[in-house]
Amino acid sequence: MKLYLYGIIDSSNHVNEPIYGLEGSCVYNIPYCDIGVVVSDFTGLVRMETKDNVLAHEQVIERVMERFIVLPFRFHTVFDSRDDVLSLVQSYYKDFKDNLDRLRNKVEFGIKVIWPSDKIKEQIINTCKKSNKKVLVSGDSSNKRFIRKKFEKYVINEEFQKKANKYINVMDMFFSKFAAEKKLKKLKTEDMLLDAVYLVEKNNQSAFREAFEHIKTIHAGFKFLFSGPWPAYNFVILQKKNDLLKDSKKEDLFDKVIRQRDLVGADKI
Amino acid sequence: MTLNSVVETDFPEEFIEEIEKAQDCLPKKIDANPKTVEKGLAKLVLTLIELIRKLLEKQAMRRVEAGSLSEEEIEKVGETLMKLENKMKELKQIFGLKDEELNLNLGPLGYLM
Repeated sequence: MKLYLYGIIDSSNHVNEPIYGLEGSCVYNIPYCDIGVVVSDFTGLVRMETKDNVLAHEQVIERVMERFIVLPFRFHTVFDSRDDVLSLVQSYYKDFKDNLDRLRNKVEFGIKVIWPSDKIKEQIINTCKKSNKKVLVSGDSSNKRFIRKKFEKYVINEEFQKKANKYINVMDMFFSKFAAEKKLKKLKTEDMLLDAVYLVEKNNQSAFREAFEHIKTIHAGFKFLFSGPWPAYNFVILQKKNDLLKDSKKEDLFDKVIRQRDLVGADKI
Repeated sequence: MTLNSVVETDFPEEFIEEIEKAQDCLPKKIDANPKTVEKGLAKLVLTLIELIRKLLEKQAMRRVEAGSLSEEEIEKVGETLMKLENKMKELKQIFGLKDEELNLNLGPLGYLM
């Protein structure tokens, strides 16, 4: 029987209350020193990437979070045996302990922002038309026309990036006041101005939420998505690499479950 | 739907569309199975060439902006970049690749372009 992994917790005690995970299996803790790995038995016979499974994964972690600090595993992290799990914890024990300390009483929030990129570009183009930057390249040979065209595009793109940075800086300034750590991704697509995750102290959750509401009101024409509180998927930092993953893809164990979490979000919406 | 977490937005469709767009256009790995190995390798090579081409282009634009290129140099740079762009178009066509396919996921570093 394989094992499905949900997270590392700061306790070697039993999970006292009955929690059911993927395939309806009972969730339990595999202890190692003063920490543990929350797992359930797993046949691997069912199709994994379904909304129900994603939710089951998330719900187990949230239930466990009520009592323990959790380093959540990526969705669909499966090990062949208890020995493999113990080897993992043994190899990473120090990392796990450091992360458990760092993430104590903290949760993750996600913020995505769509901006009116077409309008912004239009404004930039109009401004550029008025400026004399394009006349930096004079002459009418095909080579110079080519450079002139490229240069116009370059100027527009630079301005576009500058505007994006300006908006992101303003937003981030508000959110950062209440966040311990953050990860920002700018312009994942032309329209997606910001895709950010913030690590927030539990007692700062309301203030963070208020900052979001404030940002929303002062940015008319922008579209916002707020999500959380989540387990700190994006803020677990491991120093060592491991070779033990079997069924899961060989990526960071605690990497964000972006697609899975988005599915959860889509369902909630 | 989860126990405590919420996802709130007035524009769910737009966000789903953008998230899918960001995922779909960025292949996670080079497709190098026996049937498509040629195309897979071409994609890898062309991605790297495209990256270098874009860097060259950007550097040239910076120099144009700074006014550090003579008329003659602009002429030469224009010719080089134009030829490079045309050659890339040609190669993409030969291997049936689209612009958005020329990208690579570098894991924690994000995407190449």
